[in-house]
Amino acid sequence: MQTAALDATMLALSDPTRRAILNRLTSGEARVTEIAAPFAMSLNAVSKHIQMLERAELVRRRKSGREHFLSLNPKPLDEAAEWIEQQRTFWNSSLDALERALAEHKD
Amino acid sequence: MSAPSIRVERRLAASAERVFDAWLEPVWIGRFMFGPHLRDEQVVSLENEPRVGGVFHYRVTRGGTEIDHTGTYRVIDRPRRLVFTWGVDQEQGDRSVVTIAIAPDGDGCVLTLTHAMHPDWAEYAERTQAGWTKIVGDLAVALA
Repeated sequence: MQTAALDATMLALSDPTRRAILNRLTSGEARVTEIAAPFAMSLNAVSKHIQMLERAELVRRRKSGREHFLSLNPKPLDEAAEWIEQQRTFWNSSLDALERALAEHKD
Repeated sequence: MSAPSIRVERRLAASAERVFDAWLEPVWIGRFMFGPHLRDEQVVSLENEPRVGGVFHYRVTRGGTEIDHTGTYRVIDRPRRLVFTWGVDQEQGDRSVVTIAIAPDGDGCVLTLTHAMHPDWAEYAERTQAGWTKIVGDLAVALA
C-alpha cells in the first residue's frame, strides 16, 4: 500500500466524529443529512469530516437528484489492517529472537 | 482519543541496560532483528551511528531485492527510553516512529514497543493502550 494512502486512512480514522460516521455507514448507505443529524455540530462541520473520509477513499458519494448518498468503502481499512499486521509480526518476531539471544549470550 | 500505532509488550529476563544496549549494537541487531534465523533473508550490512540525530541503515536482501531499513535516532536515554524514526528504503522515509520504553521489573525488565505511523502521532501512541489496531479491527469486523 502506498504510504500516502495509508497516511490518509490513518489520519481520517484518528478522529472520533469520523469514526462514528464510518460506524453509521457500516449499516448501509445513508443521506448526508441523516449522517449529520446525531452530531451536535453544524452540517458544514460534519461535511468537512465527510470530505476527509472521501479523500481517504473510505467513503463514496452518490448523487440522486438533489440527494447525496454516502456509502462505505472498506478497501483502505483492509490495507491499513494488513500494514499493521505486517509491522506487528515483524516486532513480535524480533522480540522473540531478542528473548532467545539474551538467554544464549550472557556477555 | 485513540491513535494510530502498534503496541507490543514483553517481559525479558535481562537487565534494562542489557536490553537497551541490544537495540544499538549491530552485533545484537543481527541476532534479533535481521537474518536468515528470523525470516527468509540475508543480511547485507548493519550500520548505525548511535547518537541523537545519528542515522542507521540495516540492509538485507529478500527474494533478490535489497531492502534498506533506515531511520534517525531521536531520543537515547539509557536504559529507559529509545526513540527512532523507521522507514523502508525511500518509501516511508522518516515518517513512522518507534518508541522503546524499558522498565526494570525484579531481576528483568518490561519492554514496551510502540510503532506510530506518523511522527505527529507518536506522543499519543505512547499513551494509548490498544487503540489503533482495535479501531481498524472493529471496523473491519463491522464491515465483514
